[in-house]
Parts: sequence; C-alpha cells; structure tokens
Amino acid sequence: MADLQITSVTKRFGETPVLNGVTLDIADSEFVSLVGPSGCGKSTLLRVIAGLETPDSGAVSIGGANVTTTRAADRNLSMVFQSYALYPHLTVAENIAVPLRMRQLTHLQRMPLIGGLLPGARGHRQSIAAAVNAATEMLEIKSLLDRKPGQLSGGQRQRVALARALVRDPAAFLLDEPLSNLDAKLRVQTRAEIAELHRRLNATFIYVTHDQVEAMTMSDRIAVMMGGEILQCATPEVIYEDPDDIRVAEFIGSPKINILPIERVGHQLQIFGRPLEWRLPPGSPQIMQLGLRPEMVHLTKRTPRLRGRVAHVENLGAEVFAHVMVDDGAMRVTLRASPAEQSMLVLGAEVGLGFNTRAAMIFDADGKRLRKIETMVGTAVEVA
Amino acid sequence: MAVLDAGAITQATAGNREARTAWGLTAPALLLMVLILLVPVVVAGVLSFTNYSLGNASFDWVGAENYERLFTRSTYEKMFIATFTYVVTVVPISVGLGLGAALLLHSLGRIGDIYKTIYFLPVMATLLAMAIAWEFMLHPTIGMVNRTLAMACGTWLEVVPFVANGCAGGFPLWLGDRDYAIWVVCFIGIWQGFGFNMVLYLAGLTAVHRELYHAAEMDGAKSAWERFRLVTWPALGPTTVFVVTISCIRAFQVFDTVEAFWPQGGGPNKSAYVMMFAIFEKGVQQNLIGMGSAITMLFLAFVMSLTLIQRWLVERKVHYG
Repeated sequence: MADLQITSVTKRFGETPVLNGVTLDIADSEFVSLVGPSGCGKSTLLRVIAGLETPDSGAVSIGGANVTTTRAADRNLSMVFQSYALYPHLTVAENIAVPLRMRQLTHLQRMPLIGGLLPGARGHRQSIAAAVNAATEMLEIKSLLDRKPGQLSGGQRQRVALARALVRDPAAFLLDEPLSNLDAKLRVQTRAEIAELHRRLNATFIYVTHDQVEAMTMSDRIAVMMGGEILQCATPEVIYEDPDDIRVAEFIGSPKINILPIERVGHQLQIFGRPLEWRLPPGSPQIMQLGLRPEMVHLTKRTPRLRGRVAHVENLGAEVFAHVMVDDGAMRVTLRASPAEQSMLVLGAEVGLGFNTRAAMIFDADGKRLRKIETMVGTAVEVA
Repeated sequence: MAVLDAGAITQATAGNREARTAWGLTAPALLLMVLILLVPVVVAGVLSFTNYSLGNASFDWVGAENYERLFTRSTYEKMFIATFTYVVTVVPISVGLGLGAALLLHSLGRIGDIYKTIYFLPVMATLLAMAIAWEFMLHPTIGMVNRTLAMACGTWLEVVPFVANGCAGGFPLWLGDRDYAIWVVCFIGIWQGFGFNMVLYLAGLTAVHRELYHAAEMDGAKSAWERFRLVTWPALGPTTVFVVTISCIRAFQVFDTVEAFWPQGGGPNKSAYVMMFAIFEKGVQQNLIGMGSAITMLFLAFVMSLTLIQRWLVERKVHYG
C-alpha cells in the first residue's frame, strides 16, 4: 500500500487536449473517486496513473518514488477494466493466477510439463494456488474456478476481474467504471461490497465512474473532473454541500441543483424583480447566480419568495419531487416535498416557494463560488 | 375424448406437413450434392478397382491391383516422398511467415497497407504465368538467380561452401537437378501462399480485444513474447486451425508449378512428381482411368482425415469466443 501524487499532468491526443495540468494527492489507504461526465478525461487520468498512457508533462509518483517513466508492469498496481478484460481461453482459476505467475515464476517455470519439475517451481505453485484460493473465497466465486469467462454472467465476470486484481498485494487498486456493465440491482449490491473490500484490505483505491451515486456512497474523497481538470477534490459531504464551482454543484446531486439568476440593484439583491433582504458589500458583481438544492426549497403560503405553477410531480413514495415554473414559466425550480404535502401539488396549481437563506449558495456569472459575499449576507453553511 | 383425438390427429398431420415441406425445401440442395459430389466420388471409387480406359466399351475388374501398385511401385514411392516433402515444408513455413508478416504489419501504421499489397500480389497472380517467370529467373546460365549468385565469386562470401562450389563448378541447374527441383517448387509454393495466410491472420488480429493487452501489461507481462503467449496466440487459435487446414489442402493440391516446369514427367528423376500431377498424368495423359481413380481416392482420404483432425481440434483444444 502506498500514497500517490499526481503533479500537473497534461496529456493531449493529437490536437485534442485531454488533461490540462491535473494535480492530485492521494493518501495511503484512501478511496478516491474520479467522477465526471464522459469525455472529461477521468479514464485517461487513471490510465496515466496505471502507466498505460504517458503524460506529455507532469509527474506521477507512487510511495514517494517518481514512476512517470516506469512502465505499467513495473508500477505494482492492479487494475479492473470496464470490459473486465479476462483472458477468454483461461479458466477462472488460471485467470486469477496470471498476475502471480507472471511475476513469481520464470519463463522456464511457466512452461507446461517441464515447468513443474524445475527446482523452486513447486513451492511457488503452491503459494500461488493458496493466494488464488484466498481471493476466490473473499469474493465467493469458489464454485466457478473451472469455468471459462464465456460461461459466466456479467456479475460473475466482474467478481473474477476483482479477484484477479486483489490476488496480489499492489501499491494501489485502479478501477475503471467496473460497475457500468451490471444491471441496477447488482450495481447497488456490488457497490457495497467494493466499499467493504476497501475497508477490509485497507488499501489505496482509485475509482473512475460517471455515476455520482457510486462516487458519493463509496469514496473518502471525490475528485470532480470536467474538461480535463479537477474542479474540486473533497469529501462527499463537502462536494455536495459546499461546492467551489457551479459545475460541481450541478453535476453532483439528483435531482439537479436549482440555479436562479440574481441581480444587484444598488445595495439590494433582487430575484426575478423581487427584493431579497440580504445586504450586499460594495463592489459585488452585478449579475450573480443562486444555487438551491431541491431539499432547501419548501412550499409556503406566508410571504413566499417565489411564486409559480406546478408543472410536473414525481412521487417516489418516501418523497415527492415537484417541478414548479417560476418567472412566468421562464425557469423551472425543483423542490422536494413530503408525501403529506402532495395535496397542494396539483398540476397547474399556483404555489408559493420559500427557501432557507443559510443553505443558499451564490456563484458569480462564470460559476465561481462567492463565499465572501455569502459570509457577509449570512448564507454560508457551516460544514462539519 | 373425441375432441382430444381430433386435436391429436390435426397436430399429427400438421407435423407431417411440416416434415414434408422441410424435405421439399432441402431436396434441391441434397440432389445437387449427390449428383455433383457423392456420385462422382462413388464412381471414382468403383473405377479404382477396374482397368477402365476412356473410350473402351467395357472393363475388367482387377480387384485391389491398382492400390497394390500404388504401394509397391517405386514411381509412387517417389510420388509420396515428393508430396509429403512439399506439404511438410510449405505448410509450417507459409503459416509461420503469414503469422509473422501479419504481426509486423499489424504494428505498422499507414505504410502497412503498401506491404499488405506487395505480400498479397503473388496470391492474386496466375501461378502458371508466375511459373514461367520463375523458369526464366532460374535458368542455369542466363537466369537472374545464378547471375546474382555469380557476383559473389571472388568476394569474402566464398567462405560459404555453397558459393565456393558454385564458383568452382557452376551453380545448380535448379529445375534440372533432382536434389533441388522439389525445393524450388516448395519455395514458389511458400512465396505464393503466405500472403493469403497473412490476410487471414490480419483479419484474426483485428478481433483481439485491445484491453486484453493492457490487462496483460498490468498483470506483469513485460516482453512482447509474453503478451503474444498470453493474449495473441490463444485469440488466434480458431484462425490458426483454419489457416493450417486450408494450407494443408492447398499443399496437397499443388499442380500448376510442376505442370509448367516439367510437362512431361514431374521433375528430374520424378523428384517433383506430386500427387495431383500423378492423377493428371495417369488419368488424363495416359488414359489409365483405374489407376488415376485409385490415386484420387487416396488423395481424398488424406484431405478427409485432415478435415476430421481440424474438427476434432476445434472441438477439443481451441477456444472460441
């Protein structure tokens, strides 16, 4: 197990820049997720860490040693691929044994027939068999040992790929969207299992996903990537409640955060022409954006801050999400309501909306968070 | 009960009708196969036990006499030696070269297409015409091959015994020398055939999942050879079985070169008297249909066993999917 440092790594494919100076420190035995929309460079970053891609500039070091020019096979990392990449001609047991055979046995010892007769080969073979046994026991795939990958289901293949990765004791585990080929139910189950594996092995995990739920539920820290950069890297709580950038706020959270334009008129803030009671410091920008999570918006009859018509209602049983058209139908606000309030949410009905000013986030026109203004107007949240 | 019975009857007649339709639809294909494949084979099989000649009104049964000759006469011994020398030489080398060329071309970029065309040209060329070109090149005195070799005379290359002997006593006659004739045929067979194998292997290589190479690298396969053993070679298993079988059958069928070089007798001292040429000589030129049929049956047996071995290998050893 080891820590990893990625220092201002850039990578371009031809004319297309994929990574624009990414810097990331990963502590020993930490679970870090790289999350972002497709094409944001997260898989490329993982492959740069693995050594399968060479960065154009920047450095990667593992456990304090610079490995930027070290080839993948010598970096002592394990990887689980999106397609699982199991060797189709080998049985499950043989697949899992490959990383150990390649590293512990010499060319001659790997030969069929004579290999077993060479001195030392027997001991190695026994230790490999024991390691394969332990890995398969951990992932509960003992009954599949003699099957070929072609005879396995998607979930079983995924387990074999995991077993092949953790049969060794690598510096870190790299997982490239390992759950994306599973069905929804299996994905939830495997998610919990991978998180548990991480706790049990106490190893460094780097996990690439486009699914924010996976990132939120499994990680110690999340690095949100967009356009080849890391926008923010922090714990799931901070990423959700205290994002640095409007793109992070919009990417994390389902349903999506509400973004409403606010305008400064003199010393006063206005939302859709209605004044807000906050007083602004001088020199704050003219146009700003207000971020409101759906759970921070509530229905109210007394002095609503916003008024609108109910456009759509989604009842999920435990909670209800309603889409309300505000500003004469120009903007749509999503709010979370309790099932008890559903009687108020009739399609087309006019409702009043309020929000907790302490939970509101303010961003400038380019999407950068304006924490200074928030503290002064008293909206900033205290994050544990 | 009556209702049930009626239902059963309609079901049965429906089943019959379906079966009849199935046979009806298969019949044309079946008929053609029997007419143009099975009947000729059976006729050849029957004729191989006779002394029939084309144009004769009748024939005599000679029992296994044709086969007995096949296994006792020295001419046929030479036929077997020439045929097996050719197959055993051409198949491994043309398959190996095809695989090697495919691997090299696969790792190449745009330039690969040019090489692909160059290597594939002999496959597309008419072998008969190519044989004539080779005949000129291999001419003992005015041929390009011996003239090129003669340029080595007087240089340090004379340390090679072959060159030294050639410079002293003349370079080989190639097509006229019984020690060289079959090897020349083999060489042309390889030159002509490996491009085809290369194309088949190139097709096989495109099907290899790229992520498997990355997995192999992560698993510690450092050398190209280790990656080849772990990923490429197993993935090419189905292609290899097909390529080897096709190459074997094509090698057994070698005829054009021998016919073009030595129309009158299968090489100096029958050293290149291959099976196909023997069938042609006995059955067509000498009108000994019985003998020709016997060799044909033997040829068929070889090809048949090759196909069976392929099927067995495919089911037992090779991984598909």
